[in-house]
Formats: sequence, structure tokens, C-alpha cells
Amino acid sequence: MYRRPDGIVDFNKSICIGCKACIAACPYDAIFINPRDHSAEKCNFCAHRLDMNLEPACVVVCPTEAIIIGDMDDPSTKVAQIINRTPVSVRRPEKETHPKLFYRGAHQATLDPIAARRPGGGLYAWATQPQGPNEVGSGHPLSHANSSAAALLSYDVSHKAPWDWRVSLYTWTKSLAAGIYLAAVLFAIFGGVAWTSPLMRWVVPIGSGVFLGLTGIILIADLEHPERFYMIFTKHQWRSWLVRGAFIIGGYSLVLLVHFLASLSGNVVIQQRVAIAGVPLSLMTAVYTGYLFAQAKARDLWQNPLLPPHLFVQCMLAGACVLSAFAIAFDLPSRDALLWLVSLSALVQLLFVLAEFTLGHPTAHARLAAHQMIAGTYRRWFWPGVIGVGIAIFAPWLWWGAIVVALIGLFMYEHSYVQAGQSVPLA
Amino acid sequence: MSDQTFYQGPSKIHLASFPPKEQWNDWVEIESKAWPKREEHHYSLVPTTCFNCESACGLLAYIDKETGEIRKFEGNPEHPGSRGRNCAKGPATINQVKDVDRIPFPLKRAGERGGGEWVQIGWDEALDDIASRIRRAIVEERENEIMYHVGRPGEDGYTERVMGAWGVDGHNSHTNICSSAARAGYAFWMGIDRPSPDHANADVIFLISSHLEAGHYFNPHAQRIIEAKAAGAKIIVFDIRLSNTATHADYWLAPQPGSEAAILLAMARNLVETGRYNREFVRRWWNWEEYLAAERPELPRTFESFEKAFLELYAGFTFEYAAKEAGVAIEQLREITDLVAGAGTRLSSHNWRAAAAGHRGGWQVSRTLFLLNALMGAIATEGGVYPNAWNKFVPKPIHATPHPKRWNTVTWPDQYPLAYHEMSFLLPHLLREQNRKLDVYFTRVYNPVWTNPDGMSWIEMFKEAGRIGLHVALTPTWSETAYFADYILPMGLGPERHDIHSYETHDAQWLGFRQPVVRTARERAGETFTDSREANPGQVWEENEFWIEVSWRIDPDGKLGIRKYFESKKKPGEKLTIDEYYGFIFENSVPGLPDKAAAEGLTPLAYMRKYGAFEVARNIGAQHEIPVPQAELEDIATNDFGRVYTRAAKPGPENIVPLPAPEDDPDGRRPAGVQIDGKILRGFPTPSGKLEFYSSTLATWGWREYATPQYIKSHVHPDNLAPGQMVLNPIFRLPTQIHTRSANAKWLDELAHVNPLWLHPSDAERLGGIETGDLVRVTTEVGYYVLKAWVTEGTRPGVVACSHHMGRWKLGETGQRQMSATVGLQKDASRWTMHRKSGVGPFESSDPDTQRIWWTDVGVHQNLTFGVQPDPISGMQCWHQAVTVEKAKPGDSYGTIFVDTEKSRACYAKWRDMTRPASRFSPNATRRPWWFLRPLRPSKSEYKLPV
Repeated sequence: MYRRPDGIVDFNKSICIGCKACIAACPYDAIFINPRDHSAEKCNFCAHRLDMNLEPACVVVCPTEAIIIGDMDDPSTKVAQIINRTPVSVRRPEKETHPKLFYRGAHQATLDPIAARRPGGGLYAWATQPQGPNEVGSGHPLSHANSSAAALLSYDVSHKAPWDWRVSLYTWTKSLAAGIYLAAVLFAIFGGVAWTSPLMRWVVPIGSGVFLGLTGIILIADLEHPERFYMIFTKHQWRSWLVRGAFIIGGYSLVLLVHFLASLSGNVVIQQRVAIAGVPLSLMTAVYTGYLFAQAKARDLWQNPLLPPHLFVQCMLAGACVLSAFAIAFDLPSRDALLWLVSLSALVQLLFVLAEFTLGHPTAHARLAAHQMIAGTYRRWFWPGVIGVGIAIFAPWLWWGAIVVALIGLFMYEHSYVQAGQSVPLA
Repeated sequence: MSDQTFYQGPSKIHLASFPPKEQWNDWVEIESKAWPKREEHHYSLVPTTCFNCESACGLLAYIDKETGEIRKFEGNPEHPGSRGRNCAKGPATINQVKDVDRIPFPLKRAGERGGGEWVQIGWDEALDDIASRIRRAIVEERENEIMYHVGRPGEDGYTERVMGAWGVDGHNSHTNICSSAARAGYAFWMGIDRPSPDHANADVIFLISSHLEAGHYFNPHAQRIIEAKAAGAKIIVFDIRLSNTATHADYWLAPQPGSEAAILLAMARNLVETGRYNREFVRRWWNWEEYLAAERPELPRTFESFEKAFLELYAGFTFEYAAKEAGVAIEQLREITDLVAGAGTRLSSHNWRAAAAGHRGGWQVSRTLFLLNALMGAIATEGGVYPNAWNKFVPKPIHATPHPKRWNTVTWPDQYPLAYHEMSFLLPHLLREQNRKLDVYFTRVYNPVWTNPDGMSWIEMFKEAGRIGLHVALTPTWSETAYFADYILPMGLGPERHDIHSYETHDAQWLGFRQPVVRTARERAGETFTDSREANPGQVWEENEFWIEVSWRIDPDGKLGIRKYFESKKKPGEKLTIDEYYGFIFENSVPGLPDKAAAEGLTPLAYMRKYGAFEVARNIGAQHEIPVPQAELEDIATNDFGRVYTRAAKPGPENIVPLPAPEDDPDGRRPAGVQIDGKILRGFPTPSGKLEFYSSTLATWGWREYATPQYIKSHVHPDNLAPGQMVLNPIFRLPTQIHTRSANAKWLDELAHVNPLWLHPSDAERLGGIETGDLVRVTTEVGYYVLKAWVTEGTRPGVVACSHHMGRWKLGETGQRQMSATVGLQKDASRWTMHRKSGVGPFESSDPDTQRIWWTDVGVHQNLTFGVQPDPISGMQCWHQAVTVEKAKPGDSYGTIFVDTEKSRACYAKWRDMTRPASRFSPNATRRPWWFLRPLRPSKSEYKLPV
């Protein structure tokens, strides 16, 4: 994605890997994946025509000349006269994107996608509403929320939410990959488990490594251009948390490799030394997703300062679950302590969930997303997720039962969070 | 390059809206799909005209010089009507060209008619069979068994002349499911049957329609309406539905359906009462003297007594009455009347369908709307309404053809002498009633089984042995009617055919040209063609060439006198070619074109192939005020009302646009003009030469009570509804579809594919708590259908609405897969049931997009359940239905349709019995007033009623 000197934002399709982070972030939902070339695309003001001194196609064809373009800074142009002398509106001004697309005479109900009520019955006035797991139609599903016009949405083009179950899944596997190492190492540092324990020697590097590997595979499979995945390392821009996360994961996988090699040669000292980098890297591995989600500034549900610590708690719970499982299976001395770690992190996880969903939300979008999670489309993922984790509080008594429902619950909760965040129409 | 044409676009900056015409032979464009890589393609830009509606907006085809494929269509900046812009249907033409379900080769039915089995054949086989049958019919004097039934003509006069050459009164059209009522209303006033509103210059625009006149001239008129609005014009819209048009109105009224004429008469009465009308114009141009003489002979024949008589005639049409009849606020009526009064001569108004097409007596809607223009003198003024014939140019063809010496009573039956025009949708009933058959029946870009009311009667007609000998469907796409054809002959889409046409978009005259764009592009590259099949996809042909070929095979040695009309003038005895046909017209019949072409070093034909359109004239102005030149006034006689007749020969017109033909005087002088205030002026092509407030035609043909504009209570007036019945508006249309010939455009289908029943929340509540998406059953006089509800405040309480275009079906695998549901059809005596087997879904094809079809629901075919309801005067199908709406019954499923054709026949008889047939009411033993417009006018002797 790049910005031309004339201000138009466009895509270099040959290096787009199709991570869809831009789609997650765009407050206007202007970006889509072109099914022909599987790369991201958006209206680029017909840049290919501008470069031939032709107006954009929509400007030319409109029967009533309702669309015009021009240089905003040139006061003699028609656009400058309109935006400087008549009241104009923009979409999502609160997102601070300084948009250059202005509307004259637009009603709030047409600019705000949740101002009008979404019709029921899967219908519009002369079309059907596209159905499907990732289709997001406009309109507020409950009522005309914030418009005084009592408007009913009569026609819409739906958009596809960019990140589907695979993103939820690799967030979960990543949580395991980070937590197994992190929980174990922190435990070891505080003396709860010996560095020489089979947990530390084998479960940690192999468990974390396998889940990290799975994370990588799922992440790459989710790309629209999986064959271009390496470009995240070769053609990146540093401001993206997707890129930073890729490098963090890269660093963390090196730590795990060193730890595993040290296990082969029985060298605990190296393991302890590499943990100096390993602890922060595993922590960042779990937690960077919070920053990635927040960077998707279109998604109000994810503008959540509690997200990084919440992710930390989740990864501790996940890690503790796996470590407890092995501790139970091999009857290791750290078993009880680990089960109490499960219990404690499950309790804290629930407190985080409670805080996030009982306090109320600052914007209509966040409120709608939360509604979809708790009472709407994703409630069948949210509630089992919460209950599963709730049951895990009783891990010291329930053992396997608690571990299994906790792990499943974590995934289900994650899925509801990732999907609900994208379920609010943006355009 | 500064010497190249710069097409300024809407942004008014340095960017052009179109490539300069100097580079249209070789325009380099960067491929959008490869962007940001700069992949350059060389294109040949060839103009043609969109075929999707009558507007005939200009298009530019971009033909890749390397692959020969059409890449896309944009607008044509050289087209005076569309001015480079298009609605969605124009650019979507590319979908239609590339449609994977289009029919590329001639097909012949194998197995029984409607059985769904087809075999591919060559053109020659079809041509020989068709031509021999037509020949035999002509030789055996069964000319009335040949019929050409056209939906969208897209051209002016070509095919009519083919029929004329054959001596066959075989032209049939779709007019009476479309605009017959509106036409009649305008024609009773001025003879010419269509309005040409000058929206761009109006102060007040008054529309009785949706989306800027319900489908016609959407793009060219939309442009000009909004132009006027941006300049401060006010818009009044009468629409019983919240349409896009209504959202642009300053005043939107949704009156009780059918009450529009009552409102308009109340407005007219008030304008006269308050003296806020153009008195001079009315005094000069209305035939008020004739009215007084016929209806108020006791009054002195002065204008003052006419004003008095006018107010007496409409005494009952107070605002109070109108507000009550229409169910609208009285203040609104006062305000819109004030608006109209302030408009003066800058009042542009338009009604083409909508209320006129909905109701019995709907022709009074256009008549009373035009009454306002006639009161304000806003006729042929800037910002007013022109008679369309003055804004239309039809050039003289290479051969003039004779008038048929036949009268076909199956299209022009005795019962409907005043109809505008053919009683097309009655064909199954009239054939049966008159015990007639058709030997050769062409349906062309026309889908009567689907678009007409009472489609089951059409299916019965096609299946009845011996009723239709040979059914030839001229169409590039599958349709419900094509399933019942014997031959399907693929004719070209807009970019694959030749036509010329002219339509009234504003106060100018322009000629549009349609051409097979790939053929022209290849000719630019040096190839020569004699036949469009060589350049079109598959074996797709075009009608111009087809008719020449058929006519030669009908009359190979010329002895029938037919072949000569299709012979070359340059090379006598040889077949006429397309190039010669159009070359002749452009060289000889279009004033100004040869000079314009020569200035660019082009032949006139080459000029038209390059630009696709030519403006013949602009600012036509008030033709009626032009004095008749002295040379035309020879031995004149003037009647009591100022009509002037002359013996001077009629000068041959350059523009052969069809005009009404007021009769000669008893001594054989032809009408020349009308005397007004001592001058002899051209006037209007009516019997009186004036605007006929009083129609002597209506008076003498049995309808004296309607001789003046009146309000006729609709067949769905509340008085005529049974308790619990509602009014169904089934004619609301979308600007993104066009009847059944846009279903082959995938982008348009994605936009609009379903037609739920619009239902007001108060009605939804009353009917038991219906929610959007719930199934409801709509019962009409002859059947019922089951569809989903769309609960909206956008329709008037008591009125439901269901859109046209959607509800397409196919009986098997064959059809338009992206827009047609698969249905089963059962018949039990006269009772037909259609049920939906499956909707639409993604499918594999050479177009990857067909795998991305995400919609499954394609609506329900409501027209099947409508009986034929022809207005007794205009012949218009009165589309609005009295219906019962209820929650779906157990056993009803989505898409279920039931029709009892026995009830259809009863419905036909009921409406037929409202008529006043010519045989009983004609004042002069003729079938139809001679002066009325009529497509393919037979010779005058044919007008006589049989003894």
C-alpha cells in the first residue's frame, strides 16, 4: 500500500501478500480482495485514467454529474469552491484520517452505516442480503440507533470481514506457543519447577515449537498470496504490527531452537541465559496481537487498553493448561502448582472479560460489536468460551476436565472476539 | 496536443472526460486490471447506441486492436441526447455481449413446441422455410396470417416498411402494455401522441412517474431534470411509491391510485378561477369555439363565456373534493398550484406510464396533465413541453413502400377503434374469438409470455394445434416466449447491428446510428464485409440484413412486386446492401450531414460510422406559430372555426416523422393551417388545427361524455374494491433493469434480482403481523401468487407494490441461468400451477464470475396472474390490480403461482363489454379515425368497415 504524490492511496499488487490487515483497519471498508488476482484493491480514483489525463470513470458516466474531482488546494476548481463555500460532510471524521472525499447534501443515515435499521428476512427492496459467514451488511440489526430519521436500509452492497476462523485459530495457537514457554520459565524462575524437569527440557521447546509452527502455517494459509509470505521479511514497512509481530515470532522461534538444542546437550545454563531474551519475546508473541488489533483503527471493539494484559493472562492460562496436562500424565511434582496456576489465570481471565463487557462501551460501534459477541451472532461462541474458562477455576479438583474445557473455551472466546470485532458495518 | 478535441468533463479541470476524437482510430489506454503495472493496449473506439431502452444513448465500444475483442463500453460524447453519460444499463452491454447463456446459432425445435429440445441449424434452412411460408400466405391472400410482433423496435420505420413491402398489415407492438393511455391523452389534445419536455430550462417540473418517467429516457431526462434543479427549478412528483424520483421532489404526493386526474382538474379549475393562466394562449390556441358550439350552443361564442363554461364544467373539482378523493393534504394542492401558476411557460411535465398505465381511464391522467401546460401556454416553449414529432427526425429511405391493402382485425379489432395502438396483449383472446390463426408469427425482442398479462393464455395459444403455424423468435437470449418457438434466430445486440433512430430528449432533432462495432473496427483495419455474421459472435446476425434476405427469398424473381423494395439502386437487380441503404440515407436525406462530413473529408456514411450521431437541428421552437407560406395557400377555404384548407400540393417533407393526418374538407382540399387573429398559422395536426380541449373525435365515436378532459374513476377506485381488497401496483420499475432483456447482464442482476411485495407497516399489522421476509399470498381476479413481504413506509397504506423485471423462470436446464428460477408447470383443464423447483446458484462456465453468483432468489412472476384489462378507449392494459393480500396459506411455498384461464377469459369478456365498437359507433362507417396516428397505416380503402 502506498500513497502517490497526488495523495491517492493505491496498491502494488505484485507484492501484496493478502494479509488483509489493511481491510481490518480501513474505517471506510473501502478495500477488498480482488477474487481474480487475490490482492487487495480499492478505488484509486482511476489512477490509470488520471495518468492519461482522463477523469475517473464514475465521474464521466454519472448521468447527473454528481461526482467530481479536483485539486482541493486550487481555489479556482469546482471542488474547492464546493468544499470551501458549502457545508460538506465526510465519513468517520473521528478516525482522524483527514479524508479527501466529501459529500454535499448527504443525510446522516446514508453516511453512517448503523444509522438506518437493517431489514429482516434477508431482503432488501429489490435484492437479497448476501448471506455467509463473513458477510457484513449495513444497517443496525436492532434499531435505527443514532439517527433521528427512523430510516430503514433499503439497499446495500455487503462487505466481507477480512479475518475469518483461521485468524482466531492462529491467535489461539500462538497463545499456546507463547504461554507454554512463558508460564514454564516464569515458574522455573520462581522455583516452582526445576530447569532440569522434563517439562522444561522437552515439553517447553517442543510444545511451544509445535504450536508456533502451527501458528506459522495457519497464518501463511490465511494469506491470499501464501507463496509471497516471505515478503513480510523482505518488503515490509515497520509501522505495521503485522510486520513487527512477524519479526517477534521469528526471534522467538530462534529462542525456542536454542532452548531445544540446549536440551539435547543438557545445557541448562544456556537455557537460562537465552531466557533473558525468551521471556520478553514470548510475552511479546502473545501480546503483540493486542497492538495489531488496535492498529485496525476501524474496529472500535479492539481499541481496548486491556487487550495486551488480557492476552498475557490468556497465554498464561493456555500454557498452564498444557503444562498441567503433562504434569498430570507423568505425575510430576509441579502438577499441583500448575493446576493452581490454571485456576488463578482462569479467574483473572474472567475478571478481564467481566470488566470489558459490563462497563459499557465508548462508541456505538463498540457497543454493537459487544452485543454481537454476547447476545448476537457470536453468542454461541462467547458463552461456552466464558463458561469453559469458568470451569477451569476448579482445575485443582477437576484436572483433565478443567484443562480440556479451558483450552476449548479459550479458542471459542477468541473466535467470538475476533469475529464480533469485524461484524460492525463500516460503510 | 492542443489542436485535438478536448471533451470537458463535469469536474471542469484539465482532465478530459473522453479521449480526443482525433485518436479514436488508435487510442492507447492503460489496462486497469494490470495496474499499477503500465500495460498499454491499443483500442479502436467505435460508436454505437445502447439498445437497452428507447433512449438510445450513445456508447463508445473499445475494441482491442490486437485481440479484436470488445473490452468495454463508455458513453459517446458526440451524442446530443446522452452527451457522453449513461445509466447502468449502457456499460452493462458488455455483459450481454459476453453472456455465457446467449444463443450464438439458429436453433430449431426438435420435439413438441415447448418441449425444450433444440437442434442447431444453419440460417439457410430457416430462411427458406420462413420465406416459403410467407410467400404462400401472400399468394393465397392470407396476408393477415403474417405478423411481426416487436417489443423494443430501436429503430424508426425499417421493419414497418418491410411489412409494407410485403403488403401485410402485420405490425404488432408492445405499446398497449406500455404507453397507450399516455399517448391517447396527449393525442386527443395535439394529434401527436408523445410529449417532449424541455426539462433543462423549466422552472417547474411536474412528473407523474417514478425514476424520471418510469423507464423511458431515464438518462437523458435525468441529466436535464437535475440540471434544472441545480439551477433552482422546483420538482413536483406524483408517485404512489417512494421512488428515487420522489426523493428529488420538492413536493411529493402519493395520492390514492387513480385520483391523479381529479387533482389535476382541481388545479386547472383554480388556475382559471384565480385568473392565473395564459389567457392569450388559450384564447388563440384552444378549440373553445368548437366546444361552445357543440356543448353550450346557448352561450354567446365569446372567450368570456368559455371561461364561464369551463368553470361550470369543472365546478365539482374543488380542492376539497380533490383532497378527499386523493387522500392528500389540501395545503399541498394549493401549494403545488401556486408553483405551477408561477412557472408561466416554463412548466415541463411528463407522464408516460405510472398512473396512466395503471387505471381504467388512465388516458385522462396525461390529458389532464397536459391541460395544465395548455392553460399555461407551456407548449413548444423554452422549459415547456414540445410535441415529440417536432423533436424527432426520420429521414427518407432508399425506397418508399406502399400502404398495405389489408386491415388486420386481430391487432386492430372492431371493439377498440380509438386505441393507441395495436391490441397486442389480446392476441390469444382475439384469435380465439375471431376464429383466426397465424401462419407465421415473429416475436422480436419481445417476451409476451412473461411481460404481458395473462401469460398462461399465451402458452395455451402456442400449444393449441393449428393456432400458430410457425413461431419465429428473433432474440439473442433465452426467454419464456422463446421456449415456445419453432425457430430461435439470434439477432444482434446493440453493438452487433445496424439501426437509425431519433428520439425526443430535448428541443432538438438528432439522428442516432447503431452499428456492429467489431465489423466497423475491422473495416477500419482494411477488411471488407458483406454480412454482419462474419464479424459478430457465432452466427449472430442483424435484422436489417435478415429482412432483405427473407424478402428476396419470398419473391426471388420479383414478380410479387416485393423484391424491388430490397434491390440496390446503384446496381439494379442486385441485392441491397447495408452500406448502400445507409449510405443513401446519409447522403440524401439528412440535411446538413453531407456538408459536415465533407468538412472532415469523409463520406456521410463514414461520418456516421465515426461519430454515431448527428444533430440535425436545435431550437425547433413553436412550429404551430409559423405562418403558412403564401405558396401553400391556393384556393383556400376556411371553416366556421378557422380551419384553413388549400388546394396547393403538399410539399414533400425532409423529415418524414409520422404525423397525424387530419382529413380533407368535403371538397377535397387538404388542411393547411388555422386562422388565428387574422393570420394563417401552421397550427397542430388535429382536425381543428388547434389544441383540442374538446375532442370531436371522442364525441362522435360514442364517447361524448369524455369529449373534454374528465376524471374517470379507476377500476381500483375505493368504490370498486371489495371489502378488504387493496390496490396492487405491479408496474414499478427499476432503472437498472429493462423488462426481460437485461437478465443477461450479470452486473445488473447482482444489483436487482428480487421483487418482494411492498407493504405498509399499518397493513402488515392489520393482516396479522407480517414481517419482512414472511410469505404472503396475493390473490387477483384470475389467480394468485406467493412471495415475500417487504414492509416499508415507502408505499401508501392500502396500496401494495411489486416490481417488474423479476420473477424469470425456465422449465428445464436451458435458460438464463443467473436470473431464472427452475420451475415446474402443471395444467389441469384451465387451471395452471407453477411451482419453484430451485433458484439460482453458482455454475461453471468460461466466465469465472458465474462461480461467484451469490444470490439464489430471483423473484416471482406476478404478471401471469393478471387478467387482460384493456381500457375501452385507449386500449391500454390497466395494470393496477384489485387484490387480496394475506399471510401465505398452509401448502403455499415461495414462488407458487396459480392461474385459471377460464377466469382469464371471463375477465377478457367483461372488459370487452365496456367498449363501444366501431361497427356500432363509428360516425362514418370507418374502422378508426383516419387522422389518428397508426403504425403501418393501410390504404384509405381499408379503413372502411365491412358492409
